[in-house]
Amino acid sequence: MHKTVFFISALLILVSLKSVSQTVALSKQEALSVKESIIITSKKTTSIISKFVQSKHLSFLSKDIISKGNLVFKAPNLIKWEYNNPFKYSVIFKDNQLLINDDGIKSDIDLSANKAFKNLNNLIIKSVKGDMFDTEKFKIAYLKDAKNYLISFTSLDKSLKSFIHKFELTFDRKTFRVLKIKMMETTEDYTIITFSNQKINTSVSDAIFNN
Amino acid sequence: MRYLTISLLFLGLSACSVLPTTKNLVGKISQETINNPYFSNKKIDYVYKAKINAGNNNFGGLLILKKIKDKHHRVVFTTEFGNKIFDFEFINTKFKVNYITNKLDKKFIINALKKDFQLLVNQYNISVLKFNAKKEFIYKTMLNNKNNYYVLSKENNTLIKIIMASKRKEKMTISFRDIENNLSKNIELKHHNFNMTIELNYIN
Repeated sequence: MHKTVFFISALLILVSLKSVSQTVALSKQEALSVKESIIITSKKTTSIISKFVQSKHLSFLSKDIISKGNLVFKAPNLIKWEYNNPFKYSVIFKDNQLLINDDGIKSDIDLSANKAFKNLNNLIIKSVKGDMFDTEKFKIAYLKDAKNYLISFTSLDKSLKSFIHKFELTFDRKTFRVLKIKMMETTEDYTIITFSNQKINTSVSDAIFNN
Repeated sequence: MRYLTISLLFLGLSACSVLPTTKNLVGKISQETINNPYFSNKKIDYVYKAKINAGNNNFGGLLILKKIKDKHHRVVFTTEFGNKIFDFEFINTKFKVNYITNKLDKKFIINALKKDFQLLVNQYNISVLKFNAKKEFIYKTMLNNKNNYYVLSKENNTLIKIIMASKRKEKMTISFRDIENNLSKNIELKHHNFNMTIELNYIN
């Protein structure tokens, strides 16, 4: 009798612990298969049009700063982030340039001269292309929760580390597409970008990527 | 007697300012507390979309200001993506750099930014002189050996400008516009000794 009570309570504790921690690490084999599925899905992607909500968390603020907009990606390496609320701002990553439109004021930044932006650009393009599994630059951890896969990348590269300490990508378990990006500058301050209404492989005109 | 008149005249002339803000005005000694109310509410996250024009370069970001407690402000500038460019803290007279991106990590840049943002958030200042202009009262105050002129509109007793100056030259003007309930929704920081303007529009 005592044994049964002990067994049941132990089980209950285990279950409750599991629901608190939520995420579990993937086995080596599972991780490998998830990684391959992500790469295969990304390689089949010719374009993505998606809405996004960006939430900036700073520990000293009473609430997160929310901004919204659209993301357009066209393979192999054209990306446009277009914020439309609460401000109008767009940035296009094209060739070796950043084309910015800040509510009508247009400018460009030469990426070859700007390491921080170049790193950011590489990171974004590689994440979208599923090509970010670079074990020399990141310590990579594979996790899952009830709905999604969660892969975290901790920067090992010094120049990258200075502006991004770690980032986490959440993938849909069925489609292997990125649902969420969490970029952590420090353990306290981070930015979360959540995607919705994703349209995959529709035709996207090159003209979208002109400033 | 004639000499006395001449000396008094000289004294009067020297008390007249050469700065455009106080041109042809005579300051009277005045010790009043001047309140800058725009970043004074601890409950408010002051978040502004910033547009910076420096020389021929335009860049932008978000300027986030927060009063942590009395005489303690945090001032953070990030890109639109959310990456921090700098993160400063003003505690009493102390200044702390929590973070600054490599490219800006130079003493003269940090000093210039410190001066601008300290003036922007500093809440209470004691005046030394008061000028009575047609539509405004102008109070001269001192901070870090700089003369700062606080311009208050007579119409509604609202702070509309702060001018940082040396003895002879105006260095920078902060203009507060679109003011409602101690919140300025449009702020401009304009440097006069070099070409840089920061425009802030409230978004939160």
